[in-house]
Amino acid sequence: MTRDRHAYRAWAIAALGVLALAAAPWVIGEGAQRFLSEAMLMLAMAQMWNLLAGYAGLVSMGQQVFVGLGAYCLFFASISLKVAPFWVLPLAPLLCAAVAAIVALFMFRLREAYFAIGTWVFSEVVSLLVSKTERLGGERGIGLPTARLVDPRWLEPLTFWLSAAIAVASVFGTYALLRSRVGLGLMTVRDNEVAAAGIGVDVWRNRFIAFVVAAAGCGLAGAVNFTATLYVAPGFAFDPNWVVAMMIIVIIGGIGTLEGPILGVIIYFALREALTVVFGLSAGWYLIGLGLVAIAAILFEPDGLWPLVRGRLGGDWLSVRREPPAPLRMTAAAPAAADAATSSPRGLGATRE
Amino acid sequence: MPALLEVAGLRKRFGAIVVADDVTFSLESGQCLGMIGPNGAGKSSVFNLIAGTIAPDGGTIRFQGRDLGRLPSHLRARLGIVRAFQIPQPFPHLTVYENVLAAASFGAGRSGPAAARAALDVLATMGLAAKSGVLAGRLPLLDRKRLELGKAVASSAKVLLLDEIAAGLTEPEVEELVGLVRSLKTSHAIIWIEHIPHALRAVADRLMVLHFGRNVLEGPPAEVMTSRLVREIYMGFRADDVA
Repeated sequence: MTRDRHAYRAWAIAALGVLALAAAPWVIGEGAQRFLSEAMLMLAMAQMWNLLAGYAGLVSMGQQVFVGLGAYCLFFASISLKVAPFWVLPLAPLLCAAVAAIVALFMFRLREAYFAIGTWVFSEVVSLLVSKTERLGGERGIGLPTARLVDPRWLEPLTFWLSAAIAVASVFGTYALLRSRVGLGLMTVRDNEVAAAGIGVDVWRNRFIAFVVAAAGCGLAGAVNFTATLYVAPGFAFDPNWVVAMMIIVIIGGIGTLEGPILGVIIYFALREALTVVFGLSAGWYLIGLGLVAIAAILFEPDGLWPLVRGRLGGDWLSVRREPPAPLRMTAAAPAAADAATSSPRGLGATRE
Repeated sequence: MPALLEVAGLRKRFGAIVVADDVTFSLESGQCLGMIGPNGAGKSSVFNLIAGTIAPDGGTIRFQGRDLGRLPSHLRARLGIVRAFQIPQPFPHLTVYENVLAAASFGAGRSGPAAARAALDVLATMGLAAKSGVLAGRLPLLDRKRLELGKAVASSAKVLLLDEIAAGLTEPEVEELVGLVRSLKTSHAIIWIEHIPHALRAVADRLMVLHFGRNVLEGPPAEVMTSRLVREIYMGFRADDVA
């Protein structure tokens, strides 16, 4: 019963959140909208990285390639077709999914650290190729003149709503994916690849789905992010700091939980604003601060902070635990389900038993 | 009517090391074939070959009359060839129920309530019903072994490959496991690699002795265990020399 009540509470909070996001552009200023847009897009990207590392056992150090490709896809299509950037937005995740599907054929031959390095190298190669391509602005990058096709009063709110929609979709889309058959397969693959194949799970296919979904998600978030800045260059688009931020957020918040990245993104941006705005330190300092927090998390709370927070709040929230259907549970008498609610799955090798 | 599992002329070598050399046997449902042999004789390799985690250099493995060829291991599992590992391989961050549910979903191809029902049935059979909500990584050894068997059964296995599943258990626990395996024999074909003679004698209909990748002897358990050849292989000297 408590499980149901907590589930209702989570859904109620989510519904209120969606309403608040819809109304926000009339309430808060442009600066705040821009800040929140950035945070929500970062949440979407972190959730994608969490899907990969926390649920599929794929530690990618090259997710920034999809952030950049998504952005360049949107800029190129919008400028070539001379249409407002928002209309060609769907192309960004499609291109990233297609690239990921092809890259997976090669990357999936690599395991663990080799996969991480392989994805990173791929990202650097794409970054260099883009910086050598004059049609894409080379190293200097390109602007987004077609943004003028959007009513300037609506540019910021539209970006905000899109960012909010992407963030919400990333959380609940991942939730739906993990609740599905694919999700159960993914979690067995993460826990033990050989044993997963041994009970009939198609390891390659499950990982492939996660990799393609994560690429599309990062591409979409990247495209919207650079639409907001109206300018893209290889140094920013393919910046390894994208994946570092995703990783730090997921590790601080709690890898292998859907709530972890939400908590992580709040801590990430709170710390960044505190150090840069409140204490007026230069941009490098918040990265150092976040790095220290991440190291502390790995050392002292390898499951991240969400399990602690959940311990205080109680309940299941966005749990993807499967429990026997109630009528069956009665007949089979399985009272020990309580343990499941207090324990969370963990993702990275460092915390594996 | 072909046998459920027919292995013929199976060969595999890693460099100079021969792990399977013309291994031939067949197995029907309801039968248990015990496999013994010294360490390095190729017992686990034969399992790897049957389960499809390594590819043979030659020979055939037929399941229900069909040549498995290079069929990947997850498809063999779906056909019904499932192994239980010497060191249990649970999904540690999933609950016991989820472990078995995954096997019922992917191995047996069930979904929804049918998968849940099958999973709960298996948990009841394995004596794990009371622990369904426990994380598999927190189970004690005997329960891990039960879960390992439970995953195989929930996958709708027809051929169970049991790799030293009694290793590391106390004597009473071995007895319990033997009872479990014997009850599984009625509905499965079982190949059991084990070093505990009385466990094999209690369940196996036949014993097969592997030595340097060859099956050198096959017959009734009592006969094989008392044979001169087995004593020679295990003791490392010719039985004649003792007298």
